[in-house]
Amino acid sequence: MFFRFGSALVLIVLISLAGVAVEKRNLELRRRVIHQHFQTDVLRDVHARLRLETEQLGAPVRMLDSIESGELAVRQPEQTVDTSPRRVPLLEWRRAIPTNQPTAAPSQ
Amino acid sequence: MTSNRLTTSPYAGKWRSRLTICLLTAVWIVLSGRLVFLQWIGSAQLAEKANRQRTYLQTISARPGDIIDRDGRLLATTVNARSLYVVPERIADPEQIATELAEALNADRQSLLDRILTHRSKRFLWIKRRLEESEAAVVRALNLPPQVWGFRKEYLRRYPQGSLASHVIGLRDIDGVGHGGIEERYDELIRGRDGRRVLVRDARGRVIDVNDDHDELPHHGRTVVLTLSAVIQLYAERELDAVMTQWQPRTACAIVLEPRTGDVLAMASRPTFDPNQPVNVAHNAWTNTAIASMYEPGSTFKPFIVAWALETGRIRPTDRFDCEQGAYKMGGRVLHDDHPQGWLDISGILVKSSNIGMAKIGERLGNEELFNAAIAFGFGRKTGCELPGESAGSLRPPDSWNSYSTGSIPMGQEIAVTPLQLLTAFAALSNNGRLMTPQLVSKHIAPPPFDDVELTNTSSRETVVSRTVSPATARWIVEGPLRDAVRVGTGQAAELSDYLVFGKTGTAQKIDPATGTYSSEHHVSSFVCGAPANNPSVVVAIVVDDPSVGRTHYGGQVAAPAASRLLRKVLIHQRVPADGEPLRAAQR
Repeated sequence: MFFRFGSALVLIVLISLAGVAVEKRNLELRRRVIHQHFQTDVLRDVHARLRLETEQLGAPVRMLDSIESGELAVRQPEQTVDTSPRRVPLLEWRRAIPTNQPTAAPSQ
Repeated sequence: MTSNRLTTSPYAGKWRSRLTICLLTAVWIVLSGRLVFLQWIGSAQLAEKANRQRTYLQTISARPGDIIDRDGRLLATTVNARSLYVVPERIADPEQIATELAEALNADRQSLLDRILTHRSKRFLWIKRRLEESEAAVVRALNLPPQVWGFRKEYLRRYPQGSLASHVIGLRDIDGVGHGGIEERYDELIRGRDGRRVLVRDARGRVIDVNDDHDELPHHGRTVVLTLSAVIQLYAERELDAVMTQWQPRTACAIVLEPRTGDVLAMASRPTFDPNQPVNVAHNAWTNTAIASMYEPGSTFKPFIVAWALETGRIRPTDRFDCEQGAYKMGGRVLHDDHPQGWLDISGILVKSSNIGMAKIGERLGNEELFNAAIAFGFGRKTGCELPGESAGSLRPPDSWNSYSTGSIPMGQEIAVTPLQLLTAFAALSNNGRLMTPQLVSKHIAPPPFDDVELTNTSSRETVVSRTVSPATARWIVEGPLRDAVRVGTGQAAELSDYLVFGKTGTAQKIDPATGTYSSEHHVSSFVCGAPANNPSVVVAIVVDDPSVGRTHYGGQVAAPAASRLLRKVLIHQRVPADGEPLRAAQR
C-alpha cells in the first residue's frame, strides 16, 4: 500500500516537473521570438535610415553637375543601344548620343 | 427543587442551539447567495471589469510604405523618430525644465513654460514631435529627472530627393495623412493598417504579460512604384528653373510622356515646394499646374483639327486654302494672321500656323465635327491620371457655340485645356492615333519580407482609351507638317542636329480680366514636341504662363528651346539611337 502510494506520489511529482520544464522552455522560446521581433524592428529602422542616407548622398541633384562637368567618372555601357532595365541605375549616366554601333569597352 | 427543574429541563439549551443554528444557517445562506451572485449571475460583468483593469490595448503603428521611381530610386520613405513628452504633474521646477528644453530645442522658453503651467495636473504633454537625431541626443544629454520626461517613437516621413517631383508625390502631414499627389491618392495603401497588442498589467500599471491570443500584427504600408524617372524629372525641373529665371512667368510646367505606354516620365511645375519643409510656401506653389491649371491652347490645338478633318474626309492632304493675305472677314469679325500668307496647303497652314487657314478648315468641318474632334482627342474630360485635383478643362457643348466658334475653336480659342490633356492628345498622334491614359503609378508592392512577391497590380492600366484617327493620318501629321513646323516653321528653335524633332508652337492670348477681351500683352507660350519623327519614343510639353521679360512671347521663342534641350537629354538617357542616317537622307 505504501509502495503504491509512494509510486503515485513520485509519478505526480515527475509529471509536474515535466510540466514546469515544458512551461519554462515555452517561455524561453517566446522570449526569443519577441526578442527577434524587436531586433527585426530595429534592423528595419536601421535599414530605412541607411537607405535614406544613401539616397540623399546619391541623389541625382547632387551628382548631375559633377557628371556633366566630367568631374565624376561615368560608366559607359558596352552595348549602347540596349533597352533592358538598368541594373545599377545610379551609375548609368550618359553624355554621348547612343548609336547603332557597339562602342569599345573603356580602357581601365 | 425549582432550580433543579430549570437546569435539568430537556428544553433549556435547545432554543440557544436552535438560535445558533439559525444564525449560522442565515450567514451561510447569505454567503452562498453572494457566492452564487459573484460566480454566476454577475460573473460576466465582474470578469469584464477585472479584464479592463488588468489589460491594456496597445496600438502597433503600421509603417507607411515608400514611394520609388521606375529605377528604384527612393522618393519618399519613413523612418523612426523620437517625439518628446513631459509629465507636468511630476515636474518640481517647471521654470528650470522649460529653460533647459527651450535651449536644447531652440524653442521659445516662455511659451513652453506657459504650456507646462497650463497643463500642470496632466500626466502627458507633447513638447516636440518627431525630433531629429541630433535634437534627441541633446535632450538626452540634459540628464533631466527620468520621471518627468520621455520619448515616444513615431514615424517620420522623409523625401530624400528634396523638392524633386514634389507636386506628383505630395506630402504626409504630422498625423500621417497624405495631402496632394500620390500620398493623397494612395493614402490608405501607403498608410497600411495599425495592429494591436493586448498587455496584462499589475495593480501599479506595470506590464507583466502579453496576451498573444488577441494580437493583431500591423499591415505595413505598401511601396508605390511610379513611372517617373528621377533623372528625367531632374532634367525637366532644371529646364523649368532656367525658363523661370529667363522669362519670369507666373507659372510654368513641363511634362515628359512615353506615347506608346502613356507612362509619365516627368511632371514638373513651378513655383514648387520642399515637402521636407512645408512652411512659408507661396500659396500658388501648392498647385500642380500640369493638371490643375487650364488655358486656351492656341496654335497647339491646330494639329488635332487638321487630323480630324483629314480623317473625316473633309479635306485632303493636297487641298489648298487662300489665307487672304492676313485678313479674313468671317461673319461679323475679321480674323488675322501674325504673318500674312497667300495660298497654303494643309501642311503649310500648320507650319505657318495660319489662323485664317484653320478657320476655313473649321468651316468645312462645322461645329458638330469640331466638337467631335475635341472629344475624340480627350478634351473636355479628365485624362484619368492618378493625381487628385485634376481639372477637366473647359469645352462647351456645341449647342452653345455660334458662328464665332467655328473660327475660334480651330485656332485653339473658346476651349480650355490642361497641359497634361494637351500632351496626352499630342501623344495620341505620336502613337499612330491611339489615345492612352497617362499613368503615374506602375505598380505597388508589399513591404519586406514579402517584397519579392509582386502582388496584383491594381493600378488601372488601361491600354488604349480610344482610337482618334487612323495610323496613316497620324503618321502623316507627325512626319509631315509637325516635322516641318520644327524644320522650317515656327518651331525652328527646337531643331536638333541628331534627332528628327516634330512639334507645334502655341502663343495664346490671355483674357484681360479688366476688359474681358483678349490681351495683347499677356500670353501663354507653349511648345509640344517629340522625337524621333519616324518612330516617336518621347513627347515633351512646356507651358509658360504669362512670361514678363521682353516684348514678344512666342511659344517658339519662350518654350521651344527649353523643350528641345529637355527632349534631347531624355532621348539620350532613354538610349534612343540618333537619327543620323535618316537626317542626312532628309537633308539631301
